[in-house]
Amino acid sequence: MKLTRSAGAIGAAVVLAGAAAAGCGSSGSSSPAAAAPAKLTVWRMGPSVASQVTWMNGVVTQFHKQFPQYAKTKVVVDWIPWASRATDWTNALSSGKGGPDITELGNTDTPGIAAQGALANISSDVKAWPNGSDIIAGNLANDTVAGSNYAVPWFGGVRGIWYRKDEFAKAGITAPPATWAQLVSDAKLLMAKNPGTFGLGAPSNYTNAIVSFIWGAGGQVAVQKNGKWAAELNTPQSEAGIRFYADLLLTQHVSPSKYIGQTELGAPGATSGGSDEDFAKGTLDLYIDGPWAQTSMQAVSTKYKADWASFPIPSQTGPSPAPAFSGGSDLGVWARSPNRTAAWDLMSVMDNPGNATTFANLQGFFPEFTSALSGGKYSGSPVMSGFAKAAAYTQISPLNSKNWTVADATDAIIPTMMKALMQGASFTATVNKANTELQNVLNTGSES
Amino acid sequence: MAETAAALPGAEARASARFAGFVRRRRLAPYLLLLPALAGIALVYFWPLAQVVLYSLQNFGLPQVTGAAPTQWVGFGNFTSTFADPEFWLSLRITVVFAAVVVPLTLVTGTLVGLLLNRLGRRMSAFVSTAALLAWATPPVSASVLFYWLFNPDGGLVDWTLSKLPHWLVGSTNWSGFNWTTTGALQAYTVLTVLVVWQAFPFIAVTTLAGLKTVPAELYEAARMDGATGWRVFWRITYPLLKPIFLVLLLLSVIWDFNIFTQTYLITGGLGNRDEFNLSLYLYDKAFTFPPSYGLGGAIALIFTVILLVVTVGYVRASVRQGALT
Repeated sequence: MKLTRSAGAIGAAVVLAGAAAAGCGSSGSSSPAAAAPAKLTVWRMGPSVASQVTWMNGVVTQFHKQFPQYAKTKVVVDWIPWASRATDWTNALSSGKGGPDITELGNTDTPGIAAQGALANISSDVKAWPNGSDIIAGNLANDTVAGSNYAVPWFGGVRGIWYRKDEFAKAGITAPPATWAQLVSDAKLLMAKNPGTFGLGAPSNYTNAIVSFIWGAGGQVAVQKNGKWAAELNTPQSEAGIRFYADLLLTQHVSPSKYIGQTELGAPGATSGGSDEDFAKGTLDLYIDGPWAQTSMQAVSTKYKADWASFPIPSQTGPSPAPAFSGGSDLGVWARSPNRTAAWDLMSVMDNPGNATTFANLQGFFPEFTSALSGGKYSGSPVMSGFAKAAAYTQISPLNSKNWTVADATDAIIPTMMKALMQGASFTATVNKANTELQNVLNTGSES
Repeated sequence: MAETAAALPGAEARASARFAGFVRRRRLAPYLLLLPALAGIALVYFWPLAQVVLYSLQNFGLPQVTGAAPTQWVGFGNFTSTFADPEFWLSLRITVVFAAVVVPLTLVTGTLVGLLLNRLGRRMSAFVSTAALLAWATPPVSASVLFYWLFNPDGGLVDWTLSKLPHWLVGSTNWSGFNWTTTGALQAYTVLTVLVVWQAFPFIAVTTLAGLKTVPAELYEAARMDGATGWRVFWRITYPLLKPIFLVLLLLSVIWDFNIFTQTYLITGGLGNRDEFNLSLYLYDKAFTFPPSYGLGGAIALIFTVILLVVTVGYVRASVRQGALT
C-alpha cells in the first residue's frame, strides 16, 4: 500500500494501527510495507532553534539511510512551548487525535504521563537496543514505572550558579564560594562593588533550585518508607535550607522583592523579565540556572558574555557542593501512535550516542551516556566546568515520583510555601502546612 | 389554522382540525412556539449541565477518557474534598471581596459618566462616549497585556512614573522594580480593579444614558422650578425611574465580576500564583492542569453555579416585588 496524501493516510493509519497491534504485538518486526508510515510527527519542547533544526535534518537523513524501508516517510517536528506541553498532551489524549508519534518529555514528567496511559511500553525495544546498556543507569530507572520502560533519557543537565569573571576580579573573589556563609558574603560584596545590582536572585517559584538548598543542608523533600511517602520539609535540616533561601530576600536583602511569585524566567507564562534577563543585562550578580540558559541570555545581551562562568550550588558547610536536581529530557513513543515500530526506529537514531552528544553540546546539556561523560571533556570551558562539577552530585527523588506533577504543577506546594514565607508568613505554620499537603499528594494524588 | 385544516380532505383534515381545536382550547400555541428554542437550550445547556452533574459524582480524568481505567462513582467525594481545601475558601474570599469592590465602583463610575453624557453637548458627548466605548470594545486579552506592560517591574510606565515622583507624595517604597502582579493578591487585584472598572464602566454609562433619555424632561423642569439640588433630583426622580435598569446592571456586573478569568489569568501569571486565585482560576487549575480531574472540576463548577443562582434568584425576587417583571 502506498500512501501519498496525508488526508488519506490518517484513515489508513488507523487501519494499519489495528493491523500492527494485532499482527506484531509489542516488539516483533512487522513487514516493511505495513510499517512504513507516510509521516512521523515529533513533538519538541521550546522555541524552534535554527541549529537544532539543522541537527534534526541530519538525523532524518541518517534515519532514511539506516532504515531504507522508511525512505519515503516524512518526519515533521512540532515545537511545543514548555508551558503548554501538558495541555497539548491532555488534548491529544482526550480527543485521541492530533497526537505525536514521538514526544520529548521533561524527565520529571515521564512517570506521571506514563501513569496516565500516554506512553507506549518500550521495555523490549530498550532491552534489544545495543546502546541501552551505556545509558546512565539511574536516569533510565527514572523512566521505569512498575518494571516497564516508557521512555529513554535524551539529554540531561543540572543547575549551578552563573557568575561573571570580571565582577569576581573587581571584588577580589579568587575562589567560588563553597559554603552558604561564603555565598552570602560574596553576594553582598558583589552588590557593594557594583551599585544598582542585586547579589543573588531567589525567585519564589523555583522548586528545582530550592530543593538543592534543602538537600544541601542534609534534608530531604520526602522519603519512601514501607512503600509510603513521608514528607520531610519540616525536619531541622530541610527547614535550614528553606529558611536560608527565604532569607536571601528577607534578612540578607541580596535578592529583590520583585522575584516573589516569579520563576527564574520572570512571571509564570511571561516571555520577558525575570532573573535570567537581569543577569544578562548586568543588574544581577549571581544567577541560579543550568547551562541551557545561555541561549536565551545571549538573546537578551551579549555584552558580558565573555565573562560568564559557573560554579556549583554550595552546600551549607561545604566543601562538596549541594546535590543538584538532575534535570533533562526524555524521548517516548506515544501510546496511540499507529506507527510504534517506525517511531522507535527514529528514536533510536535521534538518541544514538553520536547524535545525542552532538545535540546535548549544541544546547549546553550533557549526554546521557556514561562513555560520553568520562574523560574530563568539559573541564576546559568556563561555563561548562562548574556545571560538570555539579553533575557529579545529583539527586532526583522525589521529583520523579508518580504524583510529583500534581504536587508541583497543579498544587505548586513548594512555590506557594516559599512565596508565603517571603511575604512574611509564620515560618513553622507555613512549612508544616506544605509538608502535610505534600505528603497527601505524593501518597494519594490529592491535597486533602 | 382551522381554515387550513378544513381545506384538507377526509380523515386527515378531521384529525388536524381536532388538534387545532385542542391547541386553541388549552391555549397551547405560545408553548408550542417556545418548543424549538427550548429544544435548542436543552441541547446546548441542559445536556452539558447534566453531564457536569454526572462527572461531579465520578473520578473522571484522563484514564477514564482514554478508557485506560474504569470510571468509578465517588458519591459526594469531589464536593467534600473541595470544601475541605483551604485554597477553595481563599479563592472564594478573593472572588467575593473583588466583586464587592469592583461592582459598586463600576456602577458609580458608569452612572456618573452616563449623567455627564446626558448633560454634554452633541460633539463632546460623542467624543466622551467614543473614548469610553473604545475601552469597552478592547478585547480582554489585549487590555490585560496592555496593563501587564504598564505595571511591569522591568521598565513599566507606572513604576517609572511613581519612581520619578517625590517621596512625600508616593511613600518611600522603591517603586522602580515594584512587582504589582505576582508578589501578592492585594497588589495584583489593585491592578485588576483598575483594569476591570476601566473596561466595564462604559457599558453602564451607555445603558444609563439610554435610560435617562426616556425620562420626561418636564419632571426635571418641575423639580428645578421647585429649587431641588442635583443630588435631590437624582435620588427623587432619576433613581426611582431607572431602578429596574440599575437592578439589571447590578446583577450583570455581579455575574461578570464573579466570572473574571482572562484578566486574572494573564495578570497573576498563568496559574503560577495560587494565593492570587479567584474561583475561576481555582476551577480551571483543578479541572485542567495535568493530570486533569474533570470530576473535581465538575463539582467546583456546580458549586460556582449555585452561588450565582442564589444571586440571580435574589434579583428575580427583588424585580417581582417592585413590579419590574410584570
